[in-house]
Amino acid sequence: MNQAEVIARLQTIFDDIFLEPVKLTPQLSATEVEEWDSLLQISIVVAVEKAFGVRFRVGEVETTRNVGEFADLIARRLQEK
Amino acid sequence: MATATNDDLKKLLLGGDPAFWERLAVRTREAAEFDELFFLSSLRKKAHKRGVPLPSATPEKLRLALVGGYSLYPLHELLEHFLETQGAPVELFVGDYDNFTSEITDGAGRLHAFRPQVLFFLPSARFGKYPGQLTDPRAAQEAEARRLVQHLLDLCRTAHERMQCEVALANFVLPARHDPGPYRSRTLGSDWNFRKLVNLELGLAAPPYVHICDLEFLANRRGAHGALDDRAWFESKQPGSPAFLVDFSRELAQLILSLRRPPKKVLVLDLDNTLWGGVVADDGLEGIEVGDTSPRGEAFKAFQRYVKSLKDRGVLLAVCSKNDHAKAAEPFEKHPEMVLQLSDFAAFTANWEPKSDNLRRMAAELKLGLDSFVFVDDNPAEVDIVRQFAPEVTAIYLGPDPAEYLATLQDCRLFEPRSITADDLQRTTQYRSEQERQSLLASVTDMDAYLASLAMEGVISEFTALDAPRLSQLINKSNQFNLTTRRRTEAEVLALLGDAAYVTFSMRLKDRFGDHGLISIVIGHKQGTNLEIDTWLMSCRVLKRQVEEEVLNELARLARAQGCTRLIGVYLPTAKNEMVKDHYPRFGFATVSETPPRSEYALDVTNFQPVPTKIKILRRAYEPS
Repeated sequence: MNQAEVIARLQTIFDDIFLEPVKLTPQLSATEVEEWDSLLQISIVVAVEKAFGVRFRVGEVETTRNVGEFADLIARRLQEK
Repeated sequence: MATATNDDLKKLLLGGDPAFWERLAVRTREAAEFDELFFLSSLRKKAHKRGVPLPSATPEKLRLALVGGYSLYPLHELLEHFLETQGAPVELFVGDYDNFTSEITDGAGRLHAFRPQVLFFLPSARFGKYPGQLTDPRAAQEAEARRLVQHLLDLCRTAHERMQCEVALANFVLPARHDPGPYRSRTLGSDWNFRKLVNLELGLAAPPYVHICDLEFLANRRGAHGALDDRAWFESKQPGSPAFLVDFSRELAQLILSLRRPPKKVLVLDLDNTLWGGVVADDGLEGIEVGDTSPRGEAFKAFQRYVKSLKDRGVLLAVCSKNDHAKAAEPFEKHPEMVLQLSDFAAFTANWEPKSDNLRRMAAELKLGLDSFVFVDDNPAEVDIVRQFAPEVTAIYLGPDPAEYLATLQDCRLFEPRSITADDLQRTTQYRSEQERQSLLASVTDMDAYLASLAMEGVISEFTALDAPRLSQLINKSNQFNLTTRRRTEAEVLALLGDAAYVTFSMRLKDRFGDHGLISIVIGHKQGTNLEIDTWLMSCRVLKRQVEEEVLNELARLARAQGCTRLIGVYLPTAKNEMVKDHYPRFGFATVSETPPRSEYALDVTNFQPVPTKIKILRRAYEPS
């Protein structure tokens, strides 16, 4: 899966979680979305791990700065499977 | 009703439909996964923000504080969600990570200012470690475990005494890793054995105001391997995996709810294919399956054994079966493998009426609220009828496999006693005696003569610390004969003991058929020359036995002893206390005000003449016994 494909899949997960629709772009970061607080972040990570069947290593999600980097991380973990 | 999907819920929310709340509660009950629950919780908060109207008046928020050696985010989120969707909204205080000692002991701090009614305390796992060597003498290791137990309970006591709160205390999850190998079981110095000992001692030594949140059990149930999550600890100091947070918060919610809500009182059972395999009217006594001759028979027998153990714990049993009465009774009378006997049941209904009607009649006969009933059946259609036409009853479908009946009931969480009092153990006897009383009543036509023949004796006592568990139990479960339905925890009851502004008493009743135990409770609040009746409640078992009259006599006596001239009675209507709507006027109180949410009445007691009754009062409140 490339970044665009991962983001398309992420979009469906976000649509389920967020009440106000959020249009995902590679540049989008959590600080730009009002609903996206630290609590929702925990929910997103759990949902993403389940949907993609991956497990992130300690601390690495925190280092991603926007949706694009998060999608790249997911793609890297998918390649290892 | 089909379960609502995420989109259904969002639509209800965006449309501001009050049906949102009920659908949300159902989904929450059924949801098992962390992310699903989290989603539901965020919908709940958004619905509040958008002002989706709540269906009925919401109860006052419970002030709940969480402190501990972990991050309590997002545990608090799930906990708040479970409590609110079960009708117990909370105002939360979430302590800082690992700051509990100072929070509990600092009287000028934020926690004390919050004045929690319930404090949850989650000690860190690093406490649950023996600091010395695996090979240290057993006595030294034991002493260290006791010291830790004492330390944790001391913190709980400090919180309880200084903030008058109930305390929920988590115990320790046992390790899930192999280290140090089989040697772990040979020394109290291993985390495995040390924590087991500490947990054991905590449970056994905890005073009544400490309620153990049993994480050891929960992790064992899930598998400690799936409950612990090192990454979540390193990243955000979580007490366990997301799945474990769900188990944990559900349990804690259940524990907190149980402080204010009583367990169910009556278990109503179907017969054919519920207590035995087959249909007795078709298959005959010899054809039904129960007992050790077949696997199915064993399963039914095991189920009966468990049901009997519930009865021994104080749950009333009843039968509600679509059957011919004589046929239905036959297995109990004649089948050698039956565990349950006819005498185990407080009520036995076998006819062709709808079960919902039978359950209503049964509730009226036993003088218990329908909402204290649980009904179980192997037939989903019967369960559905009860859910539709007697929705107050909790109806449980047992499923297609008798092997799972036992587990279904053991996991239903409806009959969990917070504490078992002596009164509970006597209950079936009390209700059976009630049936004997009823037959006596049928044989005498003169009510006065009947009451006299009962040889009733009453004991009235001011509140005592010893009675506190039973007092709070009754205060929290009594619905029908309850003028104000004010709930109080055990700690709140105890706080009244030393308060000179309050006059409190309870009454016990005995008659020639048995002991009813503690059956009526009164709390009076002194306001100048008025004594306002904050609480007046009575167990419906003793309706029309002149207990009300004796309670009024005592109230008037105490009011005068306190220098009061008037009793002020308050009636706060609820869905369940219609029965006492005219209580005060009936006893000669004058109406002060009558409005839908609150009515007030007054009685001048300066010339009060005690109402004569057939109850012999052996002792009165605030008198030496």
